Amino acid sequence: MEYKDLREFLVLLEQENQLLKITEPVMPEPDLSAIGRAAPDLENGPAILIEKVKGYKNSVVLNVHGSWQNHAIMLGLAKDTPVKEQFFELDKKWSSYPLKPVWVKDAPVKEVKITEEINLFDILPLFRVNKYDAGFYLSKALIVSKDPDEPDNFDKQNVGTYRIQVKGKDLVGIQPLPFHDIAIHLKKAEERNEPLPIAICLGNDPLLNFMSSTPIEYAQSEYDFAGALKGEPIELTKSEQGNLDIPARSEIILEGYILPRARKIEGPFGEFPGSYSGARLQPEVKIHTITHRVNPIFENLYLGMPWTEIDYLMALNTSLPLYRQLKRDFPEVVAVNAMYTHGIGVIISTKSRFGGYGKAVAMRLLSTPHGMSYSKIVIVVDEFVDPFNLEQVMWALTTRVRPDKDVVLIPYAPGMPLDPSSEPAGMHTKLIIDATTPVAPDKGRDTELLAVPEKAAYWMNYLKNLSKNQKGE
Amino acid sequence: MICPRCDSKTVEILTKAPVDDAWEVYICTACSFSWRSTEDDDIKNPDKYDKRFKIDPEKIHLFDQIPPIPEQIKK
Repeated sequence: MEYKDLREFLVLLEQENQLLKITEPVMPEPDLSAIGRAAPDLENGPAILIEKVKGYKNSVVLNVHGSWQNHAIMLGLAKDTPVKEQFFELDKKWSSYPLKPVWVKDAPVKEVKITEEINLFDILPLFRVNKYDAGFYLSKALIVSKDPDEPDNFDKQNVGTYRIQVKGKDLVGIQPLPFHDIAIHLKKAEERNEPLPIAICLGNDPLLNFMSSTPIEYAQSEYDFAGALKGEPIELTKSEQGNLDIPARSEIILEGYILPRARKIEGPFGEFPGSYSGARLQPEVKIHTITHRVNPIFENLYLGMPWTEIDYLMALNTSLPLYRQLKRDFPEVVAVNAMYTHGIGVIISTKSRFGGYGKAVAMRLLSTPHGMSYSKIVIVVDEFVDPFNLEQVMWALTTRVRPDKDVVLIPYAPGMPLDPSSEPAGMHTKLIIDATTPVAPDKGRDTELLAVPEKAAYWMNYLKNLSKNQKGE
Repeated sequence: MICPRCDSKTVEILTKAPVDDAWEVYICTACSFSWRSTEDDDIKNPDKYDKRFKIDPEKIHLFDQIPPIPEQIKK
């Protein structure tokens, strides 16, 4: 891979015309969130480096993952690689798991160390992400914690993204939802009334952020996956306290511990479904140490009405684990598109082995660890329909679905509390729409599909070249 | 100073700008709401703060706990 960390990735993005730099000073509010909103709406969705924010010392980068072009460059592909191709490239790289990390000396993230008079505002150019957020949030942090029962078990160490609200110079709130891996660690620590050491890592290798928002199994290491996707080991180092393995080349690490058996008001916060979460009582974290690189870059994420950066960041990494879990038992499955709101909406393309197969595949998806709580609407299409091409999916819905036979509701199943239609929060009624062509013993009307004319590929190529020549490219 | 969100009088200065004396940040110790002196009036002014997001400090203890606190296991 051509980059080893966020800094090197930004250089690569600039070479590919996927990075813009703002040199004049901007205000924290409302400028930074407005920039974060605008960036993914630009045609090429570049990352934006803001060199000077009024009142702060350090620079900010936004929208690092916020386009298919940046996503392709992150995977080491040409920036114009189509989404479906990125999905299959990701699947290939996934097979290299586990690629174990290495522990390095002289980690860049240890260049500066602060243990006294900590003030997060001195290091982090914090800003309000959405207008009615309860405060200033870290929306793109990677949080490392260990299983208190097995502190030496590397695979059960968790690297996840959870929202963090700044509540003091050295105090933050955290949101571990009950089905997140960190909640397992916290439960064990709280049963013993012990603090849970954590490291909050900011400005990371983009593949680490990609993996920290990927729903993998409890005993699988995000670092081993990130190494597999990179094709080389991730460089790690040890935290100052708590014996955590942290990325050696991140920009900033906040070390602290979750205060046991206490919950304090947190939120609301504008969340990925495009609406605010409520305010709830959640744990707090005391920060005791900060280490950072010289002139650290603060990376944060704006999330708004989809699509914004988060929708690119949680797209193929949600799709691929679901695809793999289905493919294991149902080899006919061709691809899974779970890009809609972190898999609340999913489109599966599969060949049908027998009548009702599409429904069975959908029910399996709804019993995977991620699909069980997140997925609400599952559409199943034939193997020749591209699930990443919504025009084709709509064709399947309009010409294949018999609403009396192919639409299924599963009432009162597990749900995703941040989905505002989950009622009560955490319960979903699931919807399956089977848009596959009926096969025996099911029976549909006889239908013959239109075929592609001979020489279509030849003429596509011809016309492309003609178009290029006319533009003088 | 009064908290724009919960109208409590429990407001503290959280920090001054690290450079340029550009702004101050305040925090309410009752509801943890924080804001910057340079933000719009509809964030800073309790009368103008959007009513849909106002919080009654007396009711905070009734909010859902996430995640629930488990039973403590005696050693």
